[in-house]
Amino acid sequence: MKTLTIVLTDGPYISEYAEIASKLAEEALKQYQVNIFLYLDAVHIPKKSQNPSFFNNVGELFTELAEKGAIIRACARCAAARGYLAEEDNTLKGSNCEDYLTGIKISSLYELSEMLKKSDRVISLSR
Amino acid sequence: MKSVFCLLDTAPYGSEKAFGALNAAAVSLTEMSVTFGLYGDGVYLAAADQDSTELGVPNLSDILYSYGELRVIVHEPSLIERGLFGETLIETIELVDEEDFLEEMENSDFVILF
Repeated sequence: MKTLTIVLTDGPYISEYAEIASKLAEEALKQYQVNIFLYLDAVHIPKKSQNPSFFNNVGELFTELAEKGAIIRACARCAAARGYLAEEDNTLKGSNCEDYLTGIKISSLYELSEMLKKSDRVISLSR
Repeated sequence: MKSVFCLLDTAPYGSEKAFGALNAAAVSLTEMSVTFGLYGDGVYLAAADQDSTELGVPNLSDILYSYGELRVIVHEPSLIERGLFGETLIETIELVDEEDFLEEMENSDFVILF
């Protein structure tokens, strides 16, 4: 199976990119292994308890992608800068950050390099 | 070996993007061929003698200069448009025209936009 990696740098709602990425990933999962790397402000995307009044809940869209098999990782430096800390507590369901939704983990930036190296296609969305 | 083109069109210091692009390029250098392309406002990163001391952030052009194995291409028309063509630039860059810049992007396996 071919691999698609999507790189995001913007947070949710300030642009439509996170939602567009989720739609692309949803469709791509039918024929690709999908990786998503959350970089810079994109580390806000998987935050728990989002409650947008007029938009789709982007965090929920991403946790659903993880349930369907997408590998979603957030940059550790960017996450720490914004108050999301990786923990070793394995009781956190499907994540290593208590502030994150299920299925999305914080990892090293080197994981981006690994994802790129294994990819057949890469899509980068950034304002 | 796969090739990655990191495209930066944002000036340094005003946002985290230049710093983020440099970090992403650095971690990819060991296992991929990386080209760092400066376009539009991104060309400000190539200016030498930057002093970011009072901003409390690293000197990003020094970081760019320190990655000797990183190929850096700078869009010359963007430099001219911003009056930077006659200014002192860091030594490790290559100036390219529109056509060559596009060709570098096309010849890379992936383009990551920052």
